[in-house]
Amino acid sequence: MVSMPRFLKRKFFKDLINKLFGNDKKLKIGFYGHPNSGKTTLANRMTNDWIGKPIGLVSEIPHETRRVYRQEHVTLSHDDLELDFDIIDTPGIATKIDYKNFLEFGLSETEAKERAKEATKGIIEAIKWLDDVTGVLLVIDSTKDPLTQANITIMGNLEARKIPFIIVANKIDLPEASPDKIHSVFPQHTVIPISALQGEHISDLYQAMVDKF
Amino acid sequence: MDANTNGLKMDFLSSSMLNSSTSMEKISMIVNRVKNGDLVVIEGGLTPEEEAELIEATMREIDVDNFMGIDIYTLEKDKKSFFGLSKSKIVGITIIGPANVMKAVKKKSNFLSMIANLGDLNASMH
Repeated sequence: MVSMPRFLKRKFFKDLINKLFGNDKKLKIGFYGHPNSGKTTLANRMTNDWIGKPIGLVSEIPHETRRVYRQEHVTLSHDDLELDFDIIDTPGIATKIDYKNFLEFGLSETEAKERAKEATKGIIEAIKWLDDVTGVLLVIDSTKDPLTQANITIMGNLEARKIPFIIVANKIDLPEASPDKIHSVFPQHTVIPISALQGEHISDLYQAMVDKF
Repeated sequence: MDANTNGLKMDFLSSSMLNSSTSMEKISMIVNRVKNGDLVVIEGGLTPEEEAELIEATMREIDVDNFMGIDIYTLEKDKKSFFGLSKSKIVGITIIGPANVMKAVKKKSNFLSMIANLGDLNASMH
């Protein structure tokens, strides 16, 4: 007897479950995390890898992404399995925004205040999207303290809504990166250390996404 | 901040007081106090949904010149289980204050130390 390839088996069971529970929602994977954690760099790497174009603009200035960007139909193939999903790149979530921080990046006071106002709206939009995503990549900068209120709030809301998520310990190419610290403070969750910028261990993330979502 | 004394006003809210309020009442009570420059210490924690609502309400209230948002810190305690086998933690107290006041917070698993800055209105951003 010829056995069914794994990805067909997976699709078969997924279709069956969707049919049984009337859940035919599209897979929408949200990129969440702090400002400057590397969400858009990672989203760009994934869309470049799978559909050959970037999704958004990356910069060193925090809150560069101030509205939600969406890329539909990204199909990821890994280890004989396929995952078809939409990417939802969200603005970084923070509990405070000080426009003076933007002045350090050469913005004028008017531009900095405008960016701060837009960033507040972006954060509200990112929180609203928590009701719509079906899976999340929580991107954490491995060089920073992971135990922040924004990360705790995002994870708490994902758990309460039963949305599967993967913690992406990003920026491991930097010498001060400490992905082990992220492992140690969130031992109950899947943590994948990567460098979105250099592409290090990206295949581990793809594998985890196929397994988890 | 207390305008009469130029000192820091801290409000301690008991869990029984909070439990008698709706989520919306709790959030507006916290945001109104913090926007006024006060520090709010609450017994227990907020639910994840309330935390998200609190961030959302804070973003709506941010006024780039006068109110730049909040800082939230929690201190956990061991959750008591019937057989004493559980190792899970629950939030014992939550401290919420204006971002430009809460400075130099040191946090360990059973210790939280904070310096309130009453003079310098520059805040760093996470």
